[in-house]
Amino acid sequence: MAKQYDVLFRLLLLGDSGVGKTCLLCRFTDNEFHPSHISTIGVDFKMKTLVIDGIKVRIQIWDTAGQERYQTITKQYYRRAQGIFLVYDITSERSFQHIMKWASDVDEYAPEKVRKILVGNKSDEVDKRQVATEQGIKLAKAYGMDFFETSAFTNHNITETFTRLAEQVLAANKKDLDLLRMSVNDEINLAALEEEEGLCDSAAGDQGKGCWC
Amino acid sequence: MFAARGGHGQQDLFRVLKAYTLHRPEEGYCQAQAPIAAVLLMHMPAEDAFWTLVQICEKYLPGYYSTGLEAIQLDGEILYALLRRVSPVAHRHLKKHKLEPILYMTEWFMCAFSRTLPWASVLRVWDMFLCEGVKILFRVGLVLLKCMLGSQEKLKTRQGLYETMELLRAIEPQYMQESFLVHEVIELQVSEKDIEKEHHAQLRRWKETHGDLHCKSPPRMHGAKAIMAAEPPSRQDLKQMPTIIVDSLLVPKTDGVKAGDAKESRKTKEEKPKKTILPQQEIVNPYLPPTDPSPLLKHMTIEGSKESLSSVEHDTYL
Repeated sequence: MAKQYDVLFRLLLLGDSGVGKTCLLCRFTDNEFHPSHISTIGVDFKMKTLVIDGIKVRIQIWDTAGQERYQTITKQYYRRAQGIFLVYDITSERSFQHIMKWASDVDEYAPEKVRKILVGNKSDEVDKRQVATEQGIKLAKAYGMDFFETSAFTNHNITETFTRLAEQVLAANKKDLDLLRMSVNDEINLAALEEEEGLCDSAAGDQGKGCWC
Repeated sequence: MFAARGGHGQQDLFRVLKAYTLHRPEEGYCQAQAPIAAVLLMHMPAEDAFWTLVQICEKYLPGYYSTGLEAIQLDGEILYALLRRVSPVAHRHLKKHKLEPILYMTEWFMCAFSRTLPWASVLRVWDMFLCEGVKILFRVGLVLLKCMLGSQEKLKTRQGLYETMELLRAIEPQYMQESFLVHEVIELQVSEKDIEKEHHAQLRRWKETHGDLHCKSPPRMHGAKAIMAAEPPSRQDLKQMPTIIVDSLLVPKTDGVKAGDAKESRKTKEEKPKKTILPQQEIVNPYLPPTDPSPLLKHMTIEGSKESLSSVEHDTYL
């Protein structure tokens, strides 16, 4: 079976209920937008392949339920992520304040070298804005993260945001990837990668270099 | 019915869910309660829907919507354990790819399949569920897992955690079709006893790994009959509390034994949906139009299933 991608990694969408995590994902993977609020129960995921620097990167994006009580379930998946989107809603001051809580949870439960990006969604709703762009920039700077204001509705900055985080994860793991490329021949690597997919939960260190869990 | 923002459907949905949070402030609102309440609202007035929701949350599925969501995780383990007997092939496959039950069954069980199955099947499953209790949810889950993952042939091309999950998020329509599904569910030999037995085993395991449960939920009741037997309706319960009072000529005002009896039986009849759900009433519902009761809803479900998030409701932010 022909391999569809070179590397695979996992990104995770976090943020309060109703900020638009699922909508961001739908826009990115299917280029669709559904204005109705359908709450995510538990966890869901979608996949998409991007080409970054000539590398076919398959990204698996995990979408989580934002409501607090689901966290006992969703937290179990933090540790599997290599990149995390912290999403708030620019029309909700509260969702912005909660970013601190989400970020500290990430520190606690996600792998140390996980890459993060701050996302202020619903940028099209200018009339209802409660969080100034500068506030977002400032917070992102404090955390050392990149920052985007997006709109799943108008498709503003969506691809940019997802691509940026994917690039960062790729860069953070570049060393591993280079090692992988140098070692033996391509076919074996790809096969190893394929195998990796199902084994991502086990300690990554002693597995092949293709999967950075 | 619930599509219009601020429309009657949404208003009722909001009121029912809000009422629940006032009724059980320590429990609060859990997002999965919205689809449950929405299905109920399609069958009864808001007040009855509220009481039925209370029964579902406290008797049928206690702890499902509580902080920590321990009960649903425990049921995931129970489902997985039962699958071993029902379909060893599917069980082995899930084990091999480390697909944890909460990844595929959370929405199934918490929404009582209302977001998963086609509408006709939702109605049948709910009839059975309200009548016989949670074992129906287990059986539906087991049937779906068995159908989708039960043959080596099918699994050949779907190796891997994510491939398997995709498979379970796009269940082939023939397996969800009303007559097929109901037949399979009735045939499947999984009893209340099996579930209780497995519940004890998994609870023991849970305590070993996670410690004691944080939320002490009341015991689960297996269906309407068990609930009625455990809590026979008191006189107080049977007292009618109508919101609209229309003077009836049929019930004479003069007090007498006869009139009292008639009143009593009428009350019993009318009060029942509040206390338990009358399965007969739901199976043959003369008020249901022959066509789909909510074309919009069906449309939503189809649309939703494409993106692995079939849904019936637009919940209000609470």
